[in-house]
Amino acid sequence: MVMSLHGISLSRNGKQVLDNISGELAAGKIIALLGPNGAGKSTLIKAMARLLECQGEILLQGRALEQFSSEQLAQHLAYLPQHSQLQFPLEVEEVLSLATLPFSLTRLQQRQQVKQVINDWGIESLADKDFRQLSGGEQQRCQIARTYLQLSNMKAEGRGCGLWLLDEPASSLDLEHQQQLQKICLQAAQEGHCVVIVLHDLNQAFSLADEVWLLDNGQIRAQGKTSEVMTEQMISEVFNVAARRINDAGNSIFVFG
Amino acid sequence: MIKKLLISPLGWLIGILLSLGICMAALFLGSIDVQTLMNTDIGSKILWDIRVPRVLLAFVIGASLSLAGVLIQSNVRNPLADPSLIGVSAGAALGAALMIVLADFVDFQAHYYIPIAAFIGGILATVAVLKLGRNDLPGGMALLILAGIAINVVAASLIGLLTYLATDSALRHITFWSLGSLASANYFWLTLCSIALLIICLWLPKQHRKLDAILLGQAEANTMGVDVKRLQKQSIVLVALLAALAVSACGIIGFIGLVTPHIGRMLVGASHRYLLPLSFFLGGSLLVIADSIARTIIAPAELPIGIVTALIGAPVFIWLLLREGRRLQW
Repeated sequence: MVMSLHGISLSRNGKQVLDNISGELAAGKIIALLGPNGAGKSTLIKAMARLLECQGEILLQGRALEQFSSEQLAQHLAYLPQHSQLQFPLEVEEVLSLATLPFSLTRLQQRQQVKQVINDWGIESLADKDFRQLSGGEQQRCQIARTYLQLSNMKAEGRGCGLWLLDEPASSLDLEHQQQLQKICLQAAQEGHCVVIVLHDLNQAFSLADEVWLLDNGQIRAQGKTSEVMTEQMISEVFNVAARRINDAGNSIFVFG
Repeated sequence: MIKKLLISPLGWLIGILLSLGICMAALFLGSIDVQTLMNTDIGSKILWDIRVPRVLLAFVIGASLSLAGVLIQSNVRNPLADPSLIGVSAGAALGAALMIVLADFVDFQAHYYIPIAAFIGGILATVAVLKLGRNDLPGGMALLILAGIAINVVAASLIGLLTYLATDSALRHITFWSLGSLASANYFWLTLCSIALLIICLWLPKQHRKLDAILLGQAEANTMGVDVKRLQKQSIVLVALLAALAVSACGIIGFIGLVTPHIGRMLVGASHRYLLPLSFFLGGSLLVIADSIARTIIAPAELPIGIVTALIGAPVFIWLLLREGRRLQW
C-alpha cells in the first residue's frame, strides 16, 4: 500500500471541508477524485501531499506522514498543483531541473535527465523560453513533465513506488495532450506508481481510472472500482444532472442532460 | 547571448575585474591627486584610513543589500519587495532617531551610540514582525508581510513623534542620518559588515536551488523537498542581520536592495545559481559608484548617498516596471 487515510477531517471557517475520509491508495493503480465544485477534491489531494494540517491519520509507505522530512517526502510523492504562480523569469529547462532537487544527482546527471524529459515530451522548442510567457496549456505540460521526472527518480533510486498527485492536470490541455496525459498516467501505473488524479471530465475518468472516489460536500459518497461507482444514478445524484451511460463495443461513455 | 557570456567562466572573470576596477578608480577619485595619495604621509593616511575603508564598506554594504533584496523578493515571491519590508530599516531609523533626540537632553557621546541603537532597533523590529507573523500557514507569508507593514507604520509614527520633540539641530541630524552617508566608514564597521556578508556567502551555495523552487510556489517547493518555513525563517534572520548592520553603519540607503536584483534578472534570469553572484558584484559596484558621485559631485561638500541611489534607482525602477508591464501585461 502506498498511502492509507484514516478518518481525515478538516474544517475551515466553521465549514466541514473534509469529513471523516478514509481509504487506501494501492501501488500500480490510478485513482480518480471526482465531485462537483467545492466537494473537497483539491483539499483532499493537498492533505495527501501534507500541504494542509488535518485531523486523522495518513500513512505513507506505512509511516505517519508527519514523520517524513521535507526531502524524504519529496522522494516518495510528487504533486502537481492546479495553477502555476511563477512571477520571475525562470526558463523551462530550469523549472524542469527542479524535479531532481530531492535526489542526490550530479549536475551532469541532472542535465541528462532534463534533456531526456524534454525529448520525451516533445517540448524542445520551449526549453529555453521564459516559463511565464508560455500558454496555460504549455505551462501545464511542463509542470506535468517536471512532476513525472520527480516520480521517475523515485523508482531509479530504489525507493519503490511513488505517489503522483495530480490536481486537475487536464484543465488547460488540448485533446492531443489530454491523450498524452492519459498514456503517461497509464505508464506510471504500469511502472508500479500510484496515480491520484482530480478530473472534471467524467468520460476521461471512466476510461482511465481503476478506482474512483466520489466526493460531495467533503464526504465520500462512493468509493471503489470505477464501473461500480460511476453508475447513472450516482452520477445524477452527486452532480445534479441527468446522466446516461451508453455502452458501445466494450466502451462506455456518459451522456448528460 | 549576454546571459551565456555572464554565466561562463569568462563572465565571472569580467565581473571580478570590473568590480576591482571600479573600486580602484573610486579609491583615487577625489580632490587629492594620485601622486599626493601615493607619495606623501598625509596622502597615505587619507588613502588607508579614509578612502580604503570607505570604498570597501560601500562595496560590502552594496553587495549585502543586493543579496538581501534577492532573498526577500524570492522568499515572498514578490518582485516589488525589498529588505525594508520586514521592518528592519524603520526599526533602525527609530533607534537612531531616539538616540539623536536623547543626546539633546542627556549629555553623552551620541555618535558612538547611534549605530548601536540603530542595530538594536532594526533587530527588535524584525523580531516583532516575526512574532506577529508566526501564526502564518505553513509556507505562507501574508501575515508576515502585513506585520512588516504594521511595524513600519508604528516606527514611522514614533519617528514622527520624536521629530516633533527634537530641537532644530537634532531634526537636521535625523534627516541627514536617514538619507545615508558613508563618510564615517572605518575598519570596525568594515569588519562587522564583512563578517555578516561572509556568513551569508557561505550559507547561500546550498540554498540556491531551494530558492528557485520557492519561486515556483510554496506548495511546489514543499513537495520538491524544501522545508519552506525553515528556509524563509533563516532567510529573514540573515536579511535582518545584513540590513541592520548596513543601516547602522551608514544610515538608510534605498533602492539598491530593490533595483539590483531586477537588473540581475534582466541579465541572467531568475535562477539563483547565477543571480546571487551577479547581484553580489552588481550591488557592490553600484554602491561604490553612487558613493563616488555623492562625495565628488558637489565637492568639497558631500551629497547624502541615499539621494544619489534614489535619483538613479527610481528612474531605473520605473523603466523596469514599464518594461515588465508591457512584456507580461501586468
